[in-house]
Amino acid sequence: MIRRNRLAWPLALLMMLAADASAAPAATYSLDAAKSTFEFAFVQAGATNKGRYPKFAVNFSFADDSVATSKLDVIVDMAALDTADQERDDTLRGADLFNVAKFPQAHFTATQITKIAAGGYDAAGTLTLRGVTRPQHVSFTLRSATEQGRQVLYMNGKALIKRLEYGVGQGDWKSTEWVGNDVNLTFNLRLVAAG
Amino acid sequence: MQVRNTTARWGSVAQFLHWLIVALIITQLILALIASELHGMAKLATLARHKSVGITILMLAVVRLLWRLGNPTPPLPLTLKPYERVLAKFTHAALYVLIFAMPLSGWIMSSARGFPVSWFSLFQLPDLVAKNRPLYEAMLTTHGVLACALVAIATLHALAALKHHFVLKDTVLRRMLPFSKIP
Repeated sequence: MIRRNRLAWPLALLMMLAADASAAPAATYSLDAAKSTFEFAFVQAGATNKGRYPKFAVNFSFADDSVATSKLDVIVDMAALDTADQERDDTLRGADLFNVAKFPQAHFTATQITKIAAGGYDAAGTLTLRGVTRPQHVSFTLRSATEQGRQVLYMNGKALIKRLEYGVGQGDWKSTEWVGNDVNLTFNLRLVAAG
Repeated sequence: MQVRNTTARWGSVAQFLHWLIVALIITQLILALIASELHGMAKLATLARHKSVGITILMLAVVRLLWRLGNPTPPLPLTLKPYERVLAKFTHAALYVLIFAMPLSGWIMSSARGFPVSWFSLFQLPDLVAKNRPLYEAMLTTHGVLACALVAIATLHALAALKHHFVLKDTVLRRMLPFSKIP
């Protein structure tokens, strides 16, 4: 008993030092939904149509000196999509496109985040959309700030999705003549450190 | 045949613009009627064509107005009664206004609804207004009312031309027709 106690403190100290040398513990951030936007754009009949996903959840844990252990997880409520036009929204929610009745959520999980430039990152992961899971890249930039004593991250990013790879477009909508295959996602998030 | 107008007849450019716009307006009516019966992608495609043709008419309208201002206008026959002169000038002015007002109201309507306009998928036109549902509703009504006015006035215009040709037997119709001899 006595011998174990005498060893415990130095050992714990050593482990902390070792952990410190490799990485600071990743901080966990939560989404400030009111100050965040998540938008999509696609080309329809030669013109860019825009919409937004007003409901989504983000889990982000991040340490700049240990990017590899950082985590990004995003869940989007597909039924809430909004292009400011009821007819277009209903078409997008319908069985041939997002089929929100059967697939209410889209889910992106990063498996590897790498730093590609100062403040610029690439998140490689998987996206599950309309029941199809595929590898997907998301690129983003981070700007950190301290606001009212709390650490805040501003994450601005984008991703290019080929809708047909996820089966978004059945029947007539498989054609790219009138609605393009490319869907550009852009997000501007305010993430607040937990605690 | 003359390219430019003379005081006796319309030149080939004016004739070409007149008949091309006639054909495109008829195309527009057909596309609009078809689109109203469609849903989904077929509706989207038909309305995209309707918008592209509409923008074409707007571009041609600009050229046509400039050409008219830069050319002599063949005068109305001297045999017309004063009220007929007023009516003729009114219908011609109204038709010119409508070939601008129809595409412009359609363009505003598309912008207000958040469906931007492209020209045959070759280039996207800027939005004339921001998304605005009440404005869209107002423009939808305006576009429809103007379309009815266009059909009514164009019909009156065509009937008048036929009256000139078959009843009055003057050159009013022939001077807008290619390959017709004017004494």
